[in-house]
Amino acid sequence: MNRIEIRELTKDYGTTRVVDYLTFDVLPGRVTGFLGPNGAGKSTTMRLLLGLVRPTAGTATIAGRRFTDLQDPLRHVGALLDPQAPHGGRTARDHLLILAAANSVPDGRVDAVLEQSGIASAARRRIKTFSLGMRQRLGIAAALLGDPGVLLLDEPTNGLDPEGIIWIRDLMRGLAAEGRTVLVSSHLMSETASFADHLVVLGQGQLLVDTPTAEFIDAHSSRRVRLRTSDADRLRAALAGRGFRLVPAEDGRWTVDGIQAEAVGALAADEGVPLLELSDERSSLEQAYLGLTAGRAEFSAGAA
Amino acid sequence: MTAAAMPTTPVLRSEWIKIRSARSILGSLTAVFGATAGITALTAAAIGTAEEGAMGADPLLAAFYGINFGQIAAIAFGATALAGEFRNGALAVSLTAVPNRTRLYLSKVVVVAGLGFLVGQVTGLVTFVSGQAFMGEYALGLGDPGALRAVFGSGVYLMLMALLSAGLTALVRSGTLVMCLLIPFVLIVPFVVGQLVGGAGRFMPDRAGQAVMRMNAEGSLGPWTGLAVAALWSIVALAAGWFAMRRRDA
Repeated sequence: MNRIEIRELTKDYGTTRVVDYLTFDVLPGRVTGFLGPNGAGKSTTMRLLLGLVRPTAGTATIAGRRFTDLQDPLRHVGALLDPQAPHGGRTARDHLLILAAANSVPDGRVDAVLEQSGIASAARRRIKTFSLGMRQRLGIAAALLGDPGVLLLDEPTNGLDPEGIIWIRDLMRGLAAEGRTVLVSSHLMSETASFADHLVVLGQGQLLVDTPTAEFIDAHSSRRVRLRTSDADRLRAALAGRGFRLVPAEDGRWTVDGIQAEAVGALAADEGVPLLELSDERSSLEQAYLGLTAGRAEFSAGAA
Repeated sequence: MTAAAMPTTPVLRSEWIKIRSARSILGSLTAVFGATAGITALTAAAIGTAEEGAMGADPLLAAFYGINFGQIAAIAFGATALAGEFRNGALAVSLTAVPNRTRLYLSKVVVVAGLGFLVGQVTGLVTFVSGQAFMGEYALGLGDPGALRAVFGSGVYLMLMALLSAGLTALVRSGTLVMCLLIPFVLIVPFVVGQLVGGAGRFMPDRAGQAVMRMNAEGSLGPWTGLAVAALWSIVALAAGWFAMRRRDA
């Protein structure tokens, strides 16, 4: 099984503790969102996992083994770290051939992942001519090269256009559906909550949250429904009977606090009130995240 | 050193593609040949027959006149071959494919040494033969005493300069810095140190290494001892680079 196990992992840089006694698992078959403000220790944790940085204490293993002990590691673990890393003077194809050769990955995979990442037409262009979005795609192509069971993606949506973001989201969901372990870091809660099954949140190197996304949303978003109806009066009366208030919002819509769309839908159906639009609102998710990590950001506006 | 640290064919192939696919590295390797053979031939054609010793006091060393320039290309080759790893976190990407740092480093060094040796040998032979073709009555042949030794030694010397630079680049993690230090070093310091401190200059890597191309040994360093001294410098630099590579976080 491609389970990532982080145990009491700690990293100090001088007197600064960047990763602070972390313990959590990342399981196969789902996308795990790895969240935290800048400087929370996400990238360092990933680098510790890859053996790029030596831990002060603790262990990080993949399928029970340290990354540095893996034979042909690209066949087990694909990583996207820094999209600026590839040598600008090389072509995209050569960059991937170098990685493929080192792990005896057949050259055919190079063309396959270039195709999969949507940069096949730029395969023979020098990387220095690439936009940030194309570099991200090249990094993802490199991560997919060895058809690995584990993927570590550090801020993969950085620099991607909206189409690219949808592409990477679908890609990650697909990889998880195939039973792979997908760990993806981000500092954006709402974006991550839209595709991650599970959330791990760090603040100042410490584990703050390790929970399924749905549970986090239930626990941290106040319930509110937004709707449009052609018979506001009857709906208002029906809701009032159950102790809820219909509050007018902008452009003819209404909101109801403390209830979910499911309940409003059932109620409207019982009463025969036509609903033209009905949705749960989770505007407070980002707020909950900010509250959670408040004072734990390395740099925050107004902090002394 | 365990078996996990030894270079393997796939990793050597990967390192070869790294060199082959970057213009800056391949360019400096080509310049080793171009500068050494080209400048020697041009100079020989221009002034070779003017008078005896026009190209240098030692006729055999003079047959490799262009190596003064070719060694700069060799330094650039060693530096650029390693420097790519230390820009923008490229090393992290390399380590995701080859996590054992010793294996990665040794493979790189083996490929730099192999290419340096091959190009060095071809350069040495072509430089000697083409340069001497313009020397008229002063020309030396491959059969002359020390000629074959000098041809072989010049190639090894170019390889050693590339390795010295490669080791130092891994140590300081900057090709630019190494070139800024080494190039003036081989161009200027030998003259200064040679004049100031009686014999110490002879043990500098370039002066010592060039003894292998001399017809008449200069002081106590014979051709092979001189080359061995140069090799020692390169080995120390490579060891320092290896130590830095193993110790530092990527």
